Amino acid sequence: MTRSGSGDTIAAVATAPGRGGVGIVRISGPASADIAQQVVGKKLTPRQAEFVDFRNAGDETLDRGLALYFEGPHSFTGEDILELQGHGGPGVLDLVLSRVLELGARRANPGEFSERAFVNGRIDLVQAEAILDLVNSATRQAALGAVRSLSGAFSEQVHALDRQVLALRVYCEAAIDFADEEIDFLAESDIGDRLEAIRDGLAALRSDAAQGALLNDGASVVFVGAPNVGKSSIFNRLSGDERAIVTAIPGTTRDTLTADFDLDGLPVRVIDTAGLRDTEDPVEAEGVDRTRRAMAQADIVVEVVEDLCADDAAPERTDSTLLVRNKTDLSGCEPGRVDAGIVRVCALTGDGFEDLVAELKRLAGFRSGEGAFTARQRHLDALDAAGKALDAAVSRLDEGEGELLAEELRTAHEHLGTIVGETSTDDLLGEIFASFCIGK
Amino acid sequence: MTRSENIHDVVVIGGGHAGTEAALAAARMGASTLLLTQNIETLGQMSCNPAVGGIGKSHLVREIDALGGAMGLAADAAGIQFRTLNASKGPAVRATRAQADRVLYRGAIRGMLERAPNLAIFQQSVVDIEIEDGRAVGVHTDMGLFFPARSVVLTTGTFLGGRIHVGLENKPGGRAGDAPSNALAERLRAMPFPVDRLKTGTPPRIAGDTVDFERLEVQHGDEPRPVMSFLSNADDHPRQLPCHVAATNENTHRIIRTGLDRSPMYTGVIEGVGPRYCPSIEDKVVRFADRTEHRIFVEPEGLDTNELYPNGISTSLPFDVQVALVRSIEGFERAHITRPGYAIEYDFFDPRGLHHSLETRTVAHLFFAGQINGTTGYEEAAAQGLLAGINASRQVAGQEPWVPGRHEAYIGVLVDDLVNLGTNEPYRMFTSRAEYRLRLRQDNADLRLTPVGRDMGLVDDRRWRTFEARRESIRAATAFLETQRVAPGSDTAAALATRCGESVSKESTLLEFLKRPRVRACDIAAVVPGLGAFPADAIEQVEIQAKYDGYIRRQDEEIAKAKAREEVTLPADLDYDGISGLSNELKGKLAAARPATLERAARIPGVTPAALSLLRIVARRHVESTRTEVLERSA
Repeated sequence: MTRSGSGDTIAAVATAPGRGGVGIVRISGPASADIAQQVVGKKLTPRQAEFVDFRNAGDETLDRGLALYFEGPHSFTGEDILELQGHGGPGVLDLVLSRVLELGARRANPGEFSERAFVNGRIDLVQAEAILDLVNSATRQAALGAVRSLSGAFSEQVHALDRQVLALRVYCEAAIDFADEEIDFLAESDIGDRLEAIRDGLAALRSDAAQGALLNDGASVVFVGAPNVGKSSIFNRLSGDERAIVTAIPGTTRDTLTADFDLDGLPVRVIDTAGLRDTEDPVEAEGVDRTRRAMAQADIVVEVVEDLCADDAAPERTDSTLLVRNKTDLSGCEPGRVDAGIVRVCALTGDGFEDLVAELKRLAGFRSGEGAFTARQRHLDALDAAGKALDAAVSRLDEGEGELLAEELRTAHEHLGTIVGETSTDDLLGEIFASFCIGK
Repeated sequence: MTRSENIHDVVVIGGGHAGTEAALAAARMGASTLLLTQNIETLGQMSCNPAVGGIGKSHLVREIDALGGAMGLAADAAGIQFRTLNASKGPAVRATRAQADRVLYRGAIRGMLERAPNLAIFQQSVVDIEIEDGRAVGVHTDMGLFFPARSVVLTTGTFLGGRIHVGLENKPGGRAGDAPSNALAERLRAMPFPVDRLKTGTPPRIAGDTVDFERLEVQHGDEPRPVMSFLSNADDHPRQLPCHVAATNENTHRIIRTGLDRSPMYTGVIEGVGPRYCPSIEDKVVRFADRTEHRIFVEPEGLDTNELYPNGISTSLPFDVQVALVRSIEGFERAHITRPGYAIEYDFFDPRGLHHSLETRTVAHLFFAGQINGTTGYEEAAAQGLLAGINASRQVAGQEPWVPGRHEAYIGVLVDDLVNLGTNEPYRMFTSRAEYRLRLRQDNADLRLTPVGRDMGLVDDRRWRTFEARRESIRAATAFLETQRVAPGSDTAAALATRCGESVSKESTLLEFLKRPRVRACDIAAVVPGLGAFPADAIEQVEIQAKYDGYIRRQDEEIAKAKAREEVTLPADLDYDGISGLSNELKGKLAAARPATLERAARIPGVTPAALSLLRIVARRHVESTRTEVLERSA
């Protein structure tokens, strides 16, 4: 039973990935039951957690975890709700969310769950306002953060595309609104070339953004391991030489040591810890406690061991741990990546460090704050939508349909505008008047 | 003080394009209407160029016409050259432009005013508006007459505090040869309307017998000749004349540069902001210094005069420079200037002080329309006049205002832009201002607006019968194409493929087939018997609707969302500063614009979806706390 008249079904990642170990995709709206049927392959009993596989369209398992179904109006939003609680990794979460979106849900706007809860009388105004206040400032920061963290390069490229689309629109709109001024854009062959260049640029950016665009609020990396395995040497080498140390907070040898540094554009906080072992020494025990706390909060745990040229010592890998086998100079084994999450290095010579950094980046790339993560997804959606409109623009140009070409360009521009800020009609007109001598 | 014996429902001040449409609309709707003008001889005067329409502008004219207005009919009665602009582009951006004989145009407008029932005209200059308890109740004239009114529409154009500049000389004036309305301007400046200055200009006029037309490019009207009004026929047009095209040259530009030290614009004498798109010739020469020529459209002023309007050399340079620059132009070597060009500065009121009905926010029953709201152009003025006349009349009848949406009419775009965003230059309509441009076409203005116009009492029986017949033809032609099917391999399919170059790959209706880019309705008509029996304009309409169908449906969702947001009203006294989730920048923008609804807030640049959620909640809280208050008070 759905009470809200809003009609559509919304979905979003409801947890901060990487922090809790559990990731929740929440779906609210009339299609929830249907989506549950498609994803978990059976009808769920309301208010009963069931351990199930989450499946994609090809019936492959994406993740497994708890599925919970709440019937409206007895749910948080007052609508039918489905919660899919799986592993926290954003990569997995993204797959599950994509699957849900593919089944007809729409990506929720920030605060939209709370808004629906309020509209359906499930929370009062004070609660709703408090939540939305938070969401608002968080999304502002996240949006800023996402643009920042998608690195200067990303936003610069989107800006450049935005400007190129604007330049084309200036031409098209001027040709339409000032036909007397003899600007015939369709006769200008280079419109097609410029459109093509924009599409190429967008496609390249889209694939970059999908593969490697790393964003984060600073992933935290904790180094653990027995004393004398070389944690500190690795830490020093990582945070030293070519990588800029922003802050270094030295503690005692039995305390944790923290350094913020920039891992090829990816901000990372590395924490060196005391060794993990049972001890009677109260001071050292305090150090071990701190280590445990740091591990619990970490995005990535790097466990350092001495290299024994053997693979059997590898514990079960997860996507938040990295096993570093140090001292290849002693073991005589080949430094470098052994497997996903396992690297051999020599802290003394720096051999294998390239692979170590690559592994850290891979893991850190998946460990980003929820806001920025969500915002990035929005950006990718916007790039896709802009790309679609540009594709259509090409056919419109081919058919010589100027006003429809202009319409597709406007659509593309609006989508890019959601990332870099919209261009108002007045700004567009301003560009036209600045570019051409118009008017009688 | 002499008091007029009877109270009028609507008193309109000003007899320009806004005032005449306002008076005619109010009278058509049955309101007893009085039009006050400084000079009956200049009713419907075209103060600037002798032309009506153009891209974005003829869209407005068609809408005015669809609502029973005067402008389209007057343009057809006075048009001495008609052109279809953007003919090679799509129907949404196609437009009509008419050169008009000024005398015939004025005559047509005056005739309509004089024939209109419920409408009286009186020649008097208005000096004050009487306000009681925050509500306009009548107007005072310079002879000491008082006209009581249930509502007042003010359309004084550039006459409020008007000042005319030629070189460094300037003097008060509403238009060359007419006095400004200074007493009224002073009174209005004392009222709580935010006021600012704008400027516009005109070129010098030239005697046609001193121009060597042999050396100018000739430009004829288009055939088939388009019409402005849905009711007109090309046969109704007067005799047609050609226009000519001239051009400035480097010598002209040199002359202009030497005169800049005596230009009121470049010496800072003029404070008002001019439009970016209609620059004076001195502006063009300075800003686009690399251009070696600028085109001039030489337009005839009318059938019975040889005076010419050289469109493109608007200037406020001193007269001696004007003479030199005109005579430097090829074909104009011996040209005699009949009237100097000039710039005019005038007062306008920040349109953000208006409701969408064009009633002022601070004084009830007082409406502003036309150039005093910061717009430029006859069409923009007429559109506002019509809307103000409608809403003044509806207010008197105790009805809700009528405000067309941005997806319904250019009139809606115009008013919404003005009221929501204000303007800092004379506002002119462009099709690029309309996000729903593909549905706001001049070919369907009647389909969009005539039914609502009929409901409001604006559309007479003759227009309504014409409209109903057309609407029925369109419906029948659509039904015909929907029921006729074409199958692959059929003779029809083969014939269509030959004519249109689009093959039929699966069975479909002819309407579906018509949606393909290269298929024209006339090709189908040539192959399929029966379609040709429908009127050409109906077939054309079906074709246009088919071509745009996908785009228009895509916009429907957008429009539905906007509509839902339009239904959420934001309190007028909302404390944006107190909403902690908003950025300071947004707080400032929202506080300045004071959007009346969530949708209007959504269109303010920079407003995010998250901010909208927050505003929706705040609006809700306001409604609930008001309800509680009322309950408590009644308890």
